[in-house]
Amino acid sequence: MHVLFGDVFMQLTVSKALLVILLGFIGGILSGFIGSGGAFFMTPGMMNLGVSGVVAVGSNITHKFGKALVGSKKHSQMGNVDKKLAIFLLATALVGIRLAVLINSMLFEGGTGHGAGKSAGADLYISAIFIGVLFFVGLHMLRDAVRKGAEGEGPSRRITEYLGRLNLKPVIRFPVSDVELSLWVLLPVGLATGYLAGTIGVGGFIGVPAMIYVFGIPTAVATGTELYLAVYMGAFGALNYAWEGFVDLRLTLLLFLGSLIGVHVGAYGVKVVSERLIRLTTGLIIILCVFSRGVAVPVYLRELKWIHYNPAWDKLFNGSSTVLLFAAGISGALAILYNVIKAHAERRKIHTTLLVSRPGSET
Amino acid sequence: MPIIFISGLPFGGGERLARMLAQKLGYDYLSRDDVVARSNECGIPVGKLEVAMVKKPAVQERMARLRDRYLAVATDSICEKAAQGDLVYYGRAGHHLLPGVTHVMRVRVVPESGQRLESVMQRLKLGREKAEKFIQDIDNDIRAWVHFVHGWEMDDPRRYDFVVNLENVSLENAAVALCGIAELPDFKPTPASRKAMEERLLQSRARIKLALDERTAGADLTVRSAEGILTITYMPRQSGVASVIPEVVGDIPGCTEIRCTMAGTNILWVQERFDPDAESFRQVNEIARRWGAAVELLGYSASGTAEVGGPEPAVVPGRASTKAYDGGIEDDVPEKLSESERTFRRTLEALVREGRSGGGQTVCGGREKILSSVNPSIPYSLVVVGDLFLQKPAAARTRMARELSAWIGHHIKAPVISVSELGARLRFTPAQALKIIASLAVVALVYVVIFLRQGPVLDILGGGYHKSHPWAAPLLVAVVAPLVAALYGQVAGALLKLIKLE
Repeated sequence: MHVLFGDVFMQLTVSKALLVILLGFIGGILSGFIGSGGAFFMTPGMMNLGVSGVVAVGSNITHKFGKALVGSKKHSQMGNVDKKLAIFLLATALVGIRLAVLINSMLFEGGTGHGAGKSAGADLYISAIFIGVLFFVGLHMLRDAVRKGAEGEGPSRRITEYLGRLNLKPVIRFPVSDVELSLWVLLPVGLATGYLAGTIGVGGFIGVPAMIYVFGIPTAVATGTELYLAVYMGAFGALNYAWEGFVDLRLTLLLFLGSLIGVHVGAYGVKVVSERLIRLTTGLIIILCVFSRGVAVPVYLRELKWIHYNPAWDKLFNGSSTVLLFAAGISGALAILYNVIKAHAERRKIHTTLLVSRPGSET
Repeated sequence: MPIIFISGLPFGGGERLARMLAQKLGYDYLSRDDVVARSNECGIPVGKLEVAMVKKPAVQERMARLRDRYLAVATDSICEKAAQGDLVYYGRAGHHLLPGVTHVMRVRVVPESGQRLESVMQRLKLGREKAEKFIQDIDNDIRAWVHFVHGWEMDDPRRYDFVVNLENVSLENAAVALCGIAELPDFKPTPASRKAMEERLLQSRARIKLALDERTAGADLTVRSAEGILTITYMPRQSGVASVIPEVVGDIPGCTEIRCTMAGTNILWVQERFDPDAESFRQVNEIARRWGAAVELLGYSASGTAEVGGPEPAVVPGRASTKAYDGGIEDDVPEKLSESERTFRRTLEALVREGRSGGGQTVCGGREKILSSVNPSIPYSLVVVGDLFLQKPAAARTRMARELSAWIGHHIKAPVISVSELGARLRFTPAQALKIIASLAVVALVYVVIFLRQGPVLDILGGGYHKSHPWAAPLLVAVVAPLVAALYGQVAGALLKLIKLE
């Protein structure tokens, strides 16, 4: 691995720069399609390209901050942002982010120092959290997609009901979401969201489901509020990682080049693809991303000298992981693009053939 | 004679008052229990819906569909019964189901608390404390139901014509008083009001038929009715239902035409006078085409008189009305359309030709009439506010339109834009082009600096300079990331606008 400045930043070649732009574009499409930040694809993608985990997270959270800044404005106009809820969540989310940055930095700085890769500990830690969280999320999405009658049924509300019955005081009313929530439910969710946003950059994967399943607020408000929260969490995380010296602004700018275009394509895809297919595509891509990360794990284990094998195999593991990740991302993006183009063509046809029918006569 | 809506709380005497009134007046009687029974027959689990709405108010797709179907069954039951003769309805907020129907008398019953408590204790065999708790819980649940299902507060006195406080007046006397009030001319049916009720009936019947037919039951459809024309929109991903819809709703009595529009989203266009030849029509149509949206026309006149729907002799002063195009003109009277009515129809027909029609109606009166005529289950992406208050001087017109826009935005929760702003957004003016070029230049400069001077930049971010000046990296990140995101976002947006792919 070619790195600059104390093993932190990698040497950026033209081909790698183009691949980062591609990562941004695919991540943007997936992000617009799913409504998440796309970090589940971009962070491991950058790690596969040779960026150390902590820099990949730091650079991606900076990218997310900028993107959320643009996106949250639109959600705000639509009335989808519960600012009061965001403030309560932010209180502990910032603590979670700081905690995550400290752990990542400590693991990075505490590299073995005896020949092992310096970032291996942090990379392994980030990969483990990534695999654990996203495997659960991906499986859940796939289960929802294949479950009979899942279409349009909406998420389960059992947790919301259970917590509501507990009536843990103090209870705070949130007029925009139209719910009443216990402070003792809000704070841990904020902490977990911040911690995951800071550790792997996918706070939305915890924040949005928690708002829907635990708080019981409407999906649109959950997404809008998470995006609003992401502006502040992203800003705080970006500044923290920058303070620790782990933000590669070059990567952030390259991600912007692809993602800010891709996100529009993905958002268009949501309109024309069925809800079940969205869940199925997303679940499959996430699971493939998890497998891809899993394939790269032996490299970190070897670097930490926890397992032993011929270092020449590292290329095989890294290569397979990269191929798997890009194959998943590209095939997912192509599937979305195919549906977008197909729907666009169909709509052009249907556009002028509005069905006007008079009962009793030919249509 | 009016449809009398008695709105009350369980064990509060409202039901007895409604029955007594129906008996005295010789009217038919219908209660919420009848509606619930019919809903259950139609496969709508009202109990489950109630629990979902009251305990877990975040409306999910399936629950929203069930809610719409329940409201359709309730509307259909009331309209059908009222069409057969006079009616007293007892329930929670049934009067919200017939916006635009003016021959309704809305009565809220405030229970006599002591008697209510006794009644609960006796009938449910509960102790005083438990009975009080029961009443408190059930009242809260019903208030929540009205709030989430109808979007109004049950205790808002503006929602009623009369409030009967049984703490101060006996049931018998209240019934006698209401019998007299029901005779007032304010509550007499007008042709326009009857017509509005027919439209509600047609709309609810179509909704029920679409819900019960297995081919369309799972589709996300919006149904509107105006002048016998059913306008049904469906999602692009469910385009297969389009050919089935006419088969499902075609045989409903009173339906003269069915218009199916594929729409991913909806745009509400509020204006006093519509004109298909105006520039504003082209602009709204253009944005609808880009977004794949259906455009719903809402002709609005605050004056409550002629401009939108032409002369309406039957409107009772002080009571606003909703009407379909020819408000007040009976079927057997030759149509005499005003200029504004003609252009409204032409605009709607032009939208149909463009494949963007989301239906249309006109409404006169206070601004709350706008809300009551809009289907709360339709998620609007944009509200376009055109020329309004045309009879006012220019300055007052601007101010009032601005205030109304803010009010609509607050209540409908969608971005509100004026027609003039819409034009500015659609046009790619030289000033905009200059702005985009400037943004692009700044973005390009940032990229050139960062990538041509990678060494010093990385030194600040994580090298030796960072070790001695750790504040410099956060500062650089805080300036560059949002700046590039905002400016590049603008450029990307403009590019998409240029290729009409917003």
